Amino acid sequence: MSLPPDYSNEISALDREILKSQPHDVLQFCANFFLRRLESQRAEFLLAPQHSSPKGRGMAQSTFPGNNPFGKSNTSAFESIEEDDENDVVASPTASSFAPAVMDKAHPQPIAEEDTFGNFGNFAGFSGSAGAVKPPQSQPPSANPHEPQSFPNNYNLNRRTSVSAESLNPASSANDNWVPPFHPKTDEQQARLRSAVAGNFLFSHLDDEQSAQVLGALQEKPIPTKGIKVILQGDVGDYFYVVEKGLFDIYVNPSGKLENGPDGLGTKVSSVGQGGSFGELALMYNAPRAATVVTAEQSTLWALDRVTFRRILMDSAFQRRRMYEGFLEEVPLLSSLTPYERSKIADALETKKFPPGTTIIQEGDVGESFYILESGEADVYKRGNSKSLKRYQKGDYFGELALLNDAPRAASVISTSEVKLATLGKNGFQRLLGPVEGIMRRNDPSKAQHSDTVDPLSK
Amino acid sequence: MIIGTGTLLRIVRTWLYTNLNAQIRKALSGEPAFSYKHSEFLGSPFKPLHILSKPTPPPQNMATAVKKLLHPHRSRDEEKSGHDNQSSGHDRQDSASERAREEEKQNLLQWEEQKQPLEPGQIDDANHKTIGQSSNVLRQQDFELIKTLGTGTFARVWLVRLKDTNNGNENTVFALKILRKTDVIRLKQVEHVRNERNVLAGVAGHPFITTLVASFQDRDSLYMLLDYCPGGEVFSYLRRARRFNEATSQFYAAEIVLILEFLHEREGVAYRDLKPENILIDAEGHLKLVDFGFAKKVENRETYTLCGTPEYLAPEVIRNTGHGTAVDWWAFGILVYEFLVGQPPFWDQNPMKIYEQIVEGRVRFPSAMSSNARDLISGLCTVDTSKRLGNISGGAGAVKAHPWFQDIDWDSLYYRKVNGPIVPHLRGPADTRNFDEYEPESAEREPYTQDMSNKWDEYFKDF
Ligand SMILES: Nc1ncnc2c1ncn2[C@@H]1O[C@H](COP(=O)(O)OP(=O)(O)OP(=O)(O)O)[C@@H](O)[C@H]1O
Ligand SMILES: [Mg+2]
Repeated sequence: MSLPPDYSNEISALDREILKSQPHDVLQFCANFFLRRLESQRAEFLLAPQHSSPKGRGMAQSTFPGNNPFGKSNTSAFESIEEDDENDVVASPTASSFAPAVMDKAHPQPIAEEDTFGNFGNFAGFSGSAGAVKPPQSQPPSANPHEPQSFPNNYNLNRRTSVSAESLNPASSANDNWVPPFHPKTDEQQARLRSAVAGNFLFSHLDDEQSAQVLGALQEKPIPTKGIKVILQGDVGDYFYVVEKGLFDIYVNPSGKLENGPDGLGTKVSSVGQGGSFGELALMYNAPRAATVVTAEQSTLWALDRVTFRRILMDSAFQRRRMYEGFLEEVPLLSSLTPYERSKIADALETKKFPPGTTIIQEGDVGESFYILESGEADVYKRGNSKSLKRYQKGDYFGELALLNDAPRAASVISTSEVKLATLGKNGFQRLLGPVEGIMRRNDPSKAQHSDTVDPLSK
Repeated sequence: MIIGTGTLLRIVRTWLYTNLNAQIRKALSGEPAFSYKHSEFLGSPFKPLHILSKPTPPPQNMATAVKKLLHPHRSRDEEKSGHDNQSSGHDRQDSASERAREEEKQNLLQWEEQKQPLEPGQIDDANHKTIGQSSNVLRQQDFELIKTLGTGTFARVWLVRLKDTNNGNENTVFALKILRKTDVIRLKQVEHVRNERNVLAGVAGHPFITTLVASFQDRDSLYMLLDYCPGGEVFSYLRRARRFNEATSQFYAAEIVLILEFLHEREGVAYRDLKPENILIDAEGHLKLVDFGFAKKVENRETYTLCGTPEYLAPEVIRNTGHGTAVDWWAFGILVYEFLVGQPPFWDQNPMKIYEQIVEGRVRFPSAMSSNARDLISGLCTVDTSKRLGNISGGAGAVKAHPWFQDIDWDSLYYRKVNGPIVPHLRGPADTRNFDEYEPESAEREPYTQDMSNKWDEYFKDF
């Protein structure tokens, strides 16, 4: 007769533990081992799906990230919450949250449920409602009045799927001289577009140049008649649209995609008119469209595709980083940085713009930051001398000794044109790479001495 | 008793390897920057693992054997090209390759029985490591598909058992991740899949990363043979428990820190898809990170392709300003928050609103959360990468030194001396009770056409 497999498993696990720990007191060790096993098995049992859901194990669900922004509520998420309720009934009310308490061996302090709930109330306020259209009110039926508060956003409890966009490779873009498409627009059109995207966070971070490129890349798409489906629910999306003129109706089919037949569109949830926009998720990755959009009259759209948009952002970021790294390589004080450190500093450099005549550095002040001139020009002055000692141009840097010591600035620097500067403070530098002195020490000491004379601002 | 040539070769190699290893160690007397002590857990003296010894015709002489040992890749490629030519006539049942296959299967079995994590120095040692290599004799038919363990966007992962081996053991199982080439191409994941295989091969042997035992392919699919992790996803435990207590969260978080430290600082790899769904629990209650679909060797260059999971995307990924390993520290902050609270800090029905919250980066904490936990999460979920904990001076070390981790003994954690908070109770190594049920795979499948083959096979050739 053979031993039951469960038994053999436990014994071989015990064997391993014994070999690993070589205990003196074998009996006590075995007793402890089985107690631990019992404890963890109980913890696991309490967390087991069979236990928490009398319905048994359902199919695993996985939804595309987020729900439909146009308001379709996801029923499967509610099922999960119901399941949780049942779990709660098993564990509470007396034991508060039993499972964590069992698992908590080191510090038996279960999280105070009341407290947590009370303060989940705060959560309700911090997430906006779902876009322009209100989602239908469908709170899960719940036995526990606290439940809806504990997941105020109807948080989707299913497994989450990954997303990704097509791969963007700056190395190849450096070679093939890609330029974004440019579609000319009148000033009026530009202004309208600008205000149409002003509220969209994807556009609000753009600098002037990026913004001009993106607006230039928007392409006009006249839609000749009413009843044309511009985007289809369930299709993968590639374009973002801004309405130049006309009107669009938005339909959502609860099945998640456009179907055939008279009711295939689903229900109309909203309309979008001039200055409105839709489909912005397509600027991130190729997610299925959340709704169908149909023209209600003859209309005109501006269209922007994801690859163009993301490539504009990538190219300018890429160029900026390489430019900064190039500048940094020229700074003798930073010559001992590894390429890795240099790219970290380049990432941390902040861009600042000043009009002509701005005093960037004031002689005698305690220096905090160092500067690289990205564009424009600036003059160096010393007190008592009205003539400029030196003119800084693109790629020149100054004030780097501030990274090393707290000595007062040895001269003033005043912009002569509009200037764009990349700057980093001593604090930022140290935060990233640790004490500057340590990095300097890597240099041969004679060199470090020498670097003092490189900066005309040093005393 | 008759010893087969394969066994003989293995013995010779084992001897050579052990000796070489000792030599190399002596030579490298200086401690590496990121060093691990030899531990009883890892088994001392170190026993080399030899899986996938290549389909070797009897060695002509010792020199060939040594050359193979020192240049496993080169010899593999040589063999491979030879093999390709000969097998293009398809399913040729030639007995030499049958023998090779049988031998490889034996090696898989052997590895499964004595698997043990490698030391970091050995993980990097591509010339000697035998796990994680591409095999040109294994095929799907060598495995019995028992049950689906999970499905993702591109792949289905099966629990499998080796078929028809001479001394096959019921209990020797693996996880086999199968990707259809057409799906990979349609979803534009060719580059990602290549990264996945290469990164996994490079890190195979780490105690908290799922081990790629071998990879192979046939005409229309790619296969990754992985160590089976019977505890299931941390995700399932978290959803059932709703939230983890502080001690459990700290334990799991700490193991993740060790993984990120290794990936970033030793391998230069950004993982880019941290979330509870991708973290499994092994038979001893420790974590295993799976799904290296987005992992990439970035080293000191930034990268731009958007990828990850919406709630876990870092702000710089959304804004496309270029990202690197710092994205994992952001996601790690989200993960710790989700452990403690039961849901991630940024959420909305509309994904665009999630992204808007992320780039704004204001994390709200429940009042029940300890101040150390808040401080850690705030440090990690900092929009400005030049201020983000983990990315700033000190790197992973600064995270490890955070007060929230003060009770963690990092060394004994790496060597798995501490027991995990949840040790799965299993009926045996092939138990799948911790995995959900999945819909069967749909029968309809897009064919991998000759045209596609002409265009894409080249990209899959290392698989
Ligand atoms: N080694 C393993 N042992 C047990 N289960 C596994 C293993 N590897 C993967 N799985 C299961 O299969 C699931 C899917 O695997 P994986 O995440 O690698 O696939 P994917 O298609 O890349 O997914 P995604 O959509 O997240 O990119 C995992 O979440 C896990 O549940
Ligand atoms: Mg996954």
